[in-house]
Amino acid sequence: MNLIHAAADAFQFEISEGEKGLLFHLLQLYPLVPATHYRLSKDRQIPNREENQHLLDEALSAQRLENRKQVEAMLNEPKRFAACAAGYQVSFSRGELEWLLQVFNDVRLGSWIALGSPDQQQEIRQRQTKQTARHVLTMDLAAFFEMALLGAIRGELPPGHE
Amino acid sequence: MAATATTEVLPDIEQEKQTDSSTDLEPGYLVVCWNDPVNLMQYVTHVFQTVFGWERRKAEQHMLEVHEKGKSVLKRESLEKAEFYVHQLQKYTLHATLERDAK
Repeated sequence: MNLIHAAADAFQFEISEGEKGLLFHLLQLYPLVPATHYRLSKDRQIPNREENQHLLDEALSAQRLENRKQVEAMLNEPKRFAACAAGYQVSFSRGELEWLLQVFNDVRLGSWIALGSPDQQQEIRQRQTKQTARHVLTMDLAAFFEMALLGAIRGELPPGHE
Repeated sequence: MAATATTEVLPDIEQEKQTDSSTDLEPGYLVVCWNDPVNLMQYVTHVFQTVFGWERRKAEQHMLEVHEKGKSVLKRESLEKAEFYVHQLQKYTLHATLERDAK
């Protein structure tokens, strides 16, 4: 997945057939992080803690629902991916890059939680078994797409596209 | 040991009376980001820049603090604003909480 052109609010990427399949696979997994994962505070003495926690839970649920709607819309919009020699070209606005980053990181974090939240990177590999290999693979895939989007936001065009 | 009657001189400081509402409105809550080994360093830097409008250098400093020390205090705010920032950071699935400032 390469950025080929960046304008004010349009980031155009070239994506291979294989990458498109992986992208759609990741999008279909969203959301993976359990809703109960988020805590407002570690401090039990925060004023109105339970009420504020409830409000936070509601706000995050609404956000996830909105992201899921956008994911569904993208999955059901085949014309968005225009065929080209290298595979497909697709454009995202800056806002879309932001929610895609949220989606990919949710999938990455959710896979890490499914692995038992290992403390160290090397532990992630150590915990890999036939049953958990898909979580490790999903984490790597999500990271691949995150880095592509972050590079685009930083204006990092690949050689030949400057 | 026999108890000895002594006169204890207390400092002449009157404790400030605080109501719940004034406590909540005054800046006194820390927005803390905790280390998760799963989040990419570039991603965390990007989120700090986006949520707080920081320059990349400042965002990187806080990201490195999270990475090396396990946490970084990102902001000191009122309860309401701290809640807002925690929500924004959690939208990006960062491990963020608000804590009372002990100072």
